[in-house]
Amino acid sequence: MAHTATAPNPEHTAARRGAASGPGVNFLRVLKSEWIKVTTIPSTVIMLTSTVVIMVGLAALFAWQTTVLLDLQSNPEMAAQVQGAPDATSLVATIPGSGLVFGQLLIGSLAVVLIASEWGTGMIRSTMVAVPKRIPALLAKQLVFALIAFVLGAGSAFAGYFVAQPILAPSELAFGLDTDGVLLHIINTGSVLALVAVLAMSIGTLLRNTAGGVVTTIGLLFVVPILVATLLAGIADWIPDAARFLPSSAGEQMVAITIADGALTQGQGALVLTGWALALLVVSLIVTRKRDV
Amino acid sequence: MIEAVDLSKRYGAKTAVDGISFTVKPGRVTGFLGPNGAGKSTTMRMIVGLDNPSGGDVRVNGKHYAQHSAPLREVGALLDAKAVHTKRSAYNHLRAMAATHGIPNSRVREVIEMTGLGPVAKKRVGGFSLGMGQRLGIACALLGDPHTVILDEPVNGLDPEGVQWVRHLAKGLAAEGRTVFLSSHLMSEMALTADHLIVIGRGRIIADAPISEILDGHGQSRTRVRTDNPAELVRALAADGVTSQQLEPELLEITGADSRRIAEAALAGRILVYELTPLQASLEDAYMQLTTDEVEYHSHTLPQSPAGTGAEEGR
Repeated sequence: MAHTATAPNPEHTAARRGAASGPGVNFLRVLKSEWIKVTTIPSTVIMLTSTVVIMVGLAALFAWQTTVLLDLQSNPEMAAQVQGAPDATSLVATIPGSGLVFGQLLIGSLAVVLIASEWGTGMIRSTMVAVPKRIPALLAKQLVFALIAFVLGAGSAFAGYFVAQPILAPSELAFGLDTDGVLLHIINTGSVLALVAVLAMSIGTLLRNTAGGVVTTIGLLFVVPILVATLLAGIADWIPDAARFLPSSAGEQMVAITIADGALTQGQGALVLTGWALALLVVSLIVTRKRDV
Repeated sequence: MIEAVDLSKRYGAKTAVDGISFTVKPGRVTGFLGPNGAGKSTTMRMIVGLDNPSGGDVRVNGKHYAQHSAPLREVGALLDAKAVHTKRSAYNHLRAMAATHGIPNSRVREVIEMTGLGPVAKKRVGGFSLGMGQRLGIACALLGDPHTVILDEPVNGLDPEGVQWVRHLAKGLAAEGRTVFLSSHLMSEMALTADHLIVIGRGRIIADAPISEILDGHGQSRTRVRTDNPAELVRALAADGVTSQQLEPELLEITGADSRRIAEAALAGRILVYELTPLQASLEDAYMQLTTDEVEYHSHTLPQSPAGTGAEEGR
């Protein structure tokens, strides 16, 4: 405490000239700043690590469950009881990304927390004073986290694939990466998480409140589909049809291996979810640019 | 250089800043003084583009803040303590801020040294005291070695050593030719630090003048006199503009006559005087005089309410 400089000494002035010669804010620098921000909050790093562990774990669990199901089905006595259970063989190919729903929950919440906590703690004022044009700061944060979400999702699915094979092998259910749609499934597990991250962070940016943002995100991703499927479906014929365009349904289609009749294809699903994410992103950018911080 | 022209900010029906114009010039410390809620912080937030003005315009070094390509190198601002994520360490916070402008880590370590944050730099900001938070805010403001420094209530929560440090820092920066704009509601602090004062009350500028002028114009010089015969001395001094106030049986405070005139009067009247102290008009007096009508939140003595009496009795 006692050791405090009062006036800049010549050394500082020299450093000043060196520093002042560099140009100012550019997008790469803002990206680097946002990368530092994401990686220097211990709880964020812990959350991300747990997400990977849980997603890979769920893939293993699901692989094991599938083998058990198959054993039951091959036993004539038990087969009657598991009637209506999905055909095990058609499920194995989606095992790598079976942690996707859980991943969406964690990544969506974390995306909200990352931006809303800036408002909560006052950090946003430092951010916006350093990058007063505002939009680059938000875009950089979105991009950094979307990339993290993609790598995390695709990586977990990839790891999930390899973890699942030895579990499936005894039941002769092991499958190759070249099986139809498997690679796309793995990659899109990452894409869905990246798009959900953008969607959730945009909601967090609009609401500027962690609790409100998390509730809204979970509501949109997990509650609205249930409401639509149960309560609202009876009201009008077009409602179940429109439900295909909800972000959650679009995400499901992106990682699907077989496409049911009338359902969106992987590509259409990607378009719909991207539409949701981009629309919310654009609104959040416009609002943030206009509103006081 | 900060130039505000007809700057105003309304929040719904409430006007926080009401068409103020002022210029903050380089090379001196300009104090921004006003009671709580007078519009100081709102004005500073508009300067750095956090709030959009409802009307008028404010420029820093000739441009709107957001138009600068390297804003942190133009303006360093401490807006409120702890505009920092509580779970991040001070060092990482500064590193993230510096990264936006390509400011090297060596400069980060330098400002940590300058502000005395060294021992706590790797600790979570959430655990910082108010004073440490202020030091971090100041470190952040100095990061880009800016030409203009804006500090909102910088001495808030600082220990006496820290207060003195901020005072020297502000004066040092001004002496290097930088623009230093410092807000406070503490008049005494301003009197010691600022060269020029902008006084604001209820969103309007009340005074914009060198500090000496404000002192001369609004505070009258008083003299404290101890004498064994106050009544006689007051009679001897009786003249236009001389007023006196008897504080204690032998203690007077005389306004309107300087100490020499009082001494002469005492000598002529053969009155014993054993203290004669000129009291400098305090900025506080001048300030109170300036802002009495402009204070947003007056403190009132609570009337003795029946409920209060009841509570007394209940004890």
